[in-house]
Amino acid sequence: MYSWRRIRERLFKIAVFGVAILALIPLFHLMIVVFINGLPTILEAGLEFLVDLPPTPLSQRLGGIAPSLVGTFMVTMISLPITIVLGLFTAILVTEFPKSRLSIMVDTIAKSLSSIPTIAVSMAVFSLIIVLVNAIPELRASLNPAGSALTGSLALVIIALPFSYTYFSTFLRTVPATYKEAAYSIGMSRWAVIVRVVLLVVKKSMLVAVLMTMARIMGETAALLFTAGRYRNGVPVSITSPVDAIPLLIFDYILSPFEVWHRVAWGATLILLLFYMLIFFVVKVVVKEVKLV
Amino acid sequence: MKKSKRDKLFFTSLIPFSISLLSTLLLLIFLLFFNSVESLSAHGVSLFVKTIWDPENGVYGVLGPILGTIITSLISVSVSLILSFSLAITIAEYLEGYLKKIVSSILEFMGGLPTIIYAVWASKYLVPFLKNNVMEPLHASLPFIPLFSCRPVTGFSIFAAGVALGISIVPYVAAIILEAYENIPLIYKEACYGIGATKYEAIKTLLSLAKPAIIAALILGFARSLGETTIAALTIGNSMTLTPCLFSPGYTVSALVASQFANAFLYQHAESVLYASMLVTTLISIILSLYASKLIIDWRSRVVV
Repeated sequence: MYSWRRIRERLFKIAVFGVAILALIPLFHLMIVVFINGLPTILEAGLEFLVDLPPTPLSQRLGGIAPSLVGTFMVTMISLPITIVLGLFTAILVTEFPKSRLSIMVDTIAKSLSSIPTIAVSMAVFSLIIVLVNAIPELRASLNPAGSALTGSLALVIIALPFSYTYFSTFLRTVPATYKEAAYSIGMSRWAVIVRVVLLVVKKSMLVAVLMTMARIMGETAALLFTAGRYRNGVPVSITSPVDAIPLLIFDYILSPFEVWHRVAWGATLILLLFYMLIFFVVKVVVKEVKLV
Repeated sequence: MKKSKRDKLFFTSLIPFSISLLSTLLLLIFLLFFNSVESLSAHGVSLFVKTIWDPENGVYGVLGPILGTIITSLISVSVSLILSFSLAITIAEYLEGYLKKIVSSILEFMGGLPTIIYAVWASKYLVPFLKNNVMEPLHASLPFIPLFSCRPVTGFSIFAAGVALGISIVPYVAAIILEAYENIPLIYKEACYGIGATKYEAIKTLLSLAKPAIIAALILGFARSLGETTIAALTIGNSMTLTPCLFSPGYTVSALVASQFANAFLYQHAESVLYASMLVTTLISIILSLYASKLIIDWRSRVVV
């Protein structure tokens, strides 16, 4: 009897370990092949990969991904601050008044929002812009219904908001109640406690929440499919005209039958992976334990 | 405790932010519904019981993509259950110190990785690998089972999409299982070891305690697979067919939208049909997620306290 329990113990451990390693293999394989396929593209194209336009399908030259880089930068710069402000204030409300009916409602809404498929958000925002442009003809001149950095950013805010709200409220909840009690006891108002005590205690975590929201925004593909415009023939200059984004470029080029576009897509994938790794390592340096999921 | 005047002001000042959240949700669902009405009134229920995409003649049926979505998500959940379950147990029970930190960090790294990177990898490496090592052997040895009855021609198929989605949701599901497992009060663990249980027996007991949370994690993973676009669009093979065979190409609703939406405005009803099928997917996803989070909250108040 005892020996069977012992054998079972061993078998279980081996099985669990084996499958756990199996679960991690895809990540390592993925990173290796992205480097193997992406690095030659970037080395061959050189610095021009960052400043040149994408190649035509039958071109001999590799060109670059400048329009997508600038586009991703634009939509991130527009949507990140809006998401942060909305997410942070909503998180403060919910953590300060956890029993209030409003807070419980907000929490449920955030969960529902985050479970909406991102492509559904893209479709809804697309139709919203069409409705707006048809209702207000003056808008047509300024806002391109085929997509723009502004429209794309709107979709991104909707997608990233529930995530940033979750990050912020998780971090705000870690502030010990004793800190707040001490602050109240010397007569500080509720708002002053938030600004001068709570946010100061978790200021590192706040940075992490901002970076994680940024990672989410930068890597999002489906939300931009019908809202950004996929304009790759030049570097965008206006936030109201169509733009591209790195994930969109990868998505379109990897689906295309052209060899040169596949190579550009691999190069762009490596750039995206490097961006993400950079953000992740900064986050890891700032705070020891964070949850990106 | 009575709220002071300033507190009240503070509370009111935060209300607009929450209202913006609520109105966004309502507006999104309304927009999807608003655009679906046209096709729903023109085609009615027949939209969801046929599989046909013929915009020239204005005939549509999205049963195929809807079933494709459900089947890929089911495969995805089964794949991720085995993988994330072992990963969570390994992190919680078998790793310690430095190694535990590294593996949890890898898990977090996977969780935040842009899905487009998974999608590129899956379409270029995972699909050929599955075709040569899983699909063809299964077809060769068990061709009489309807699920494996067709020859995997390109490898891009419902099965491949399900496995790719499953791998991508592993970190998400594993994180929920891990959190639930580590939330179980220590006394239960002590009680197990106190009566002389081995580690395996203790884990088994603790897992039976965490069952509702694990089911919730699976439902959440299912909901996430339902709406995933890039991975599905690059691995499922994009074909409007309905067969019982897992190795033939198909569609999920989001892959259908990703490939057809851009040209849909050219045809009557096509755009609206896409909105209608997405509305269905969205509603299923929201309901499942809310149900799963309720499961977790109930479980926590019962077991963790």
